[in-house]
Amino acid sequence: MFLSRIVLRDLDSIDSPAASMASSKKLVTRDEWERKLRDVKIRKEDMNRLVMNFLVTEGFVDAADKFRVESGTQPDIDLATITDRMEVKRAVQSGNVQEAIEKINDLNPTILDTNPQLYFHLQQQKLIELIRAGKINEALEFAQEELAPRGEENQVFLEEIEKTVALLVFEDIKNCPYGELLDVSQRLKTASEVNAAILTSQSHEKDPKLPSLLKMLIWTQNQLDEKAAYPRINNFSTAALEDPAI
Amino acid sequence: MVANEVVAAAAVVEEPAPASAGAVDPMRLASRWRSPAEWGAAAAEMEAEPAPSELNTTNSSGLFAVVSTDRMSVRYLGVNQHGHDVGVVQANRPAPTRRAVYYFEMGVKNAGQKGQTSIGFTTENFKMRRQPGWESNSCGYHGDDGYLYRGPGKSESFGPKFTSGDTIGAGINYFSQEFFFTKNGSLVGSFQKEIKGPLYPTIAVHSQDEEVTVNFGKEPFCFDIEGYIFEEKMKQQSVSDKLDLQPDISHWIVRSYLLHYGYQDTLNSFDMASETDPPSNHQNGYGEPPEMYGLSHRKLLRQLIMSGDIDSAFKKLGEWYPQVIKDETSVICFLLHSQRFIEFIGAGQLEDAVKYARSNLANFLTHKAFDGLLKESVALLAYEKPAESCIGYLLDSPQREFVADAVNAAVLSTNPNMKDPESCLYSCLEKLLRQLTIQVFLGIKAFKLHLHLSSELRDETLCPSWKERDSPRSGDVDHDPCAITDTLILEVSQYTLHKVNT
Repeated sequence: MFLSRIVLRDLDSIDSPAASMASSKKLVTRDEWERKLRDVKIRKEDMNRLVMNFLVTEGFVDAADKFRVESGTQPDIDLATITDRMEVKRAVQSGNVQEAIEKINDLNPTILDTNPQLYFHLQQQKLIELIRAGKINEALEFAQEELAPRGEENQVFLEEIEKTVALLVFEDIKNCPYGELLDVSQRLKTASEVNAAILTSQSHEKDPKLPSLLKMLIWTQNQLDEKAAYPRINNFSTAALEDPAI
Repeated sequence: MVANEVVAAAAVVEEPAPASAGAVDPMRLASRWRSPAEWGAAAAEMEAEPAPSELNTTNSSGLFAVVSTDRMSVRYLGVNQHGHDVGVVQANRPAPTRRAVYYFEMGVKNAGQKGQTSIGFTTENFKMRRQPGWESNSCGYHGDDGYLYRGPGKSESFGPKFTSGDTIGAGINYFSQEFFFTKNGSLVGSFQKEIKGPLYPTIAVHSQDEEVTVNFGKEPFCFDIEGYIFEEKMKQQSVSDKLDLQPDISHWIVRSYLLHYGYQDTLNSFDMASETDPPSNHQNGYGEPPEMYGLSHRKLLRQLIMSGDIDSAFKKLGEWYPQVIKDETSVICFLLHSQRFIEFIGAGQLEDAVKYARSNLANFLTHKAFDGLLKESVALLAYEKPAESCIGYLLDSPQREFVADAVNAAVLSTNPNMKDPESCLYSCLEKLLRQLTIQVFLGIKAFKLHLHLSSELRDETLCPSWKERDSPRSGDVDHDPCAITDTLILEVSQYTLHKVNT
């Protein structure tokens, strides 16, 4: 049958003892490489699933639903749960930490119970938001009543609390040493931690597969560089083959 | 650009068009034609790498030891007269290599007079009157002194001694290219694997009454080998996790995939959600993907074909891109006609199917390139219940999708601004995956491994339901939730480390 005749026939030449014993790098020309590439068959369903996995994990719920219809690919998770997850994530991203905590508990009360670090980071974020809003008294009260006891349990938490409370003593908090806590990136960090915890609680992987595959592509290219000069893909956005450097 | 000429040119050649023939040959999307059963069979063959199952009785040193009738234990015969009176036995097969770790265990039933039992690995030509580790190209962990032996004059203090009642394990970690030994479920130590070639699990007895049993995995191991493998995978994973990607590149690749195949509704939702998403500069610096061309037409054509409405697809193509179907012997025309025929069969309209085939498909019989699909399609007529036949997959939506993808590629190829014909066939994602596949398998000789990758991609994680549907590999496939990347990493590292060490 047509396809069973696909053979990676030229690969042997690279693996031959002569090639591996040679001290210089083996050169794989663009022609050879493209011939090899043509022999590779990637299943469309596999690519569709990779894309669906990305949409679902990253929380593009509408797009995932449309993609299900357009490509016939079934999502690997109930799409309704994505909506809830994204609401929680958005709440953290916009600084509504209390709302996020309540929503998480609505979704699954065991998430915060079993994840003290996440719960601490949410409370820390809440403190940060209070400080950002200039609610000094409220912030102090919250720090003393809710956060301080947790610092006694855990040295890492304590250091985090100290850094956060230090924000209170600076007039110009944007330029104080721990100013990065007030940055959007801190919210995003907490939000992505929340996202991962919810996914894990739904027995779903917390990261999409696509970035891991891309990292693997980098890794294998780096490894292969030591052995051979061959057409690399340096720019993933065009996926263009670069001529091998001789 | 006269795309139909190019397509026609591809149609008349017998073999898949060579690269120099240029442009778009939708036949190169032909991965669709491997039926699920074929993929399954290939994967099963891949998994079926033979592993040691019992001791080798023909190659053992019969003078000093006797292997039990079940070939799972060995006992020392007589009295040890001489240093070379070793009873050494290899397994019936070498350790398999297409996996992360190979491992087996030995139970010391009786340490005999001197407790000189040992365990290790040897090559095929190992002298059968020596302890593993005494000769070059072998290694062994010895019970009487707890030393590790790795060739003439090479012995070193390694771990505890072992004696009656102990369970000793020996393994090869292909990730790290190391041997390792265990005692009673705990790791004793590991060291660089310097021996090449097929390696046989080997055990030895060396003094009166010594008796050991062997476990090649039929019984549960004393050592938590699954946990060990998991940890090794995690180590490997963390290495590649530390690499940096271009910012938001995954987002960009997904978007250009949607554009490429004309998934326009998905694209719109995706773009809308991305605008409200805080890291909104997703497309930063990458420019516009080249595949805006004919987007809404391509979307509609895909919808028509996916719903089985081939007649309308033909009609619309004639309106919008007449050059694509002008040549009636082109690949595109063939694919559409055969799909129309398949749709008749799917709807149970056999007479219409036959009529249609006579007027529209018969012409293609002389074209060898179409032979496979044509014969299979026509064969659908032979079955009372075609959907349940071995070619029933032709009636499933992946076959429609294949035709839709071919039409999509043909439409893209009519773009007057098209620079790279490859881009009509392959999305950015597919190009990257192909590159990755080649890199992973560069130098690995077995074509089977290549199939293995594809099957891993498909069923282990991305499509868990596939197994239930029609898997010929019933039974013991474990469903590791992160198999796709793990297996890839595993194969890659195994290969690369192998190369580095060669």
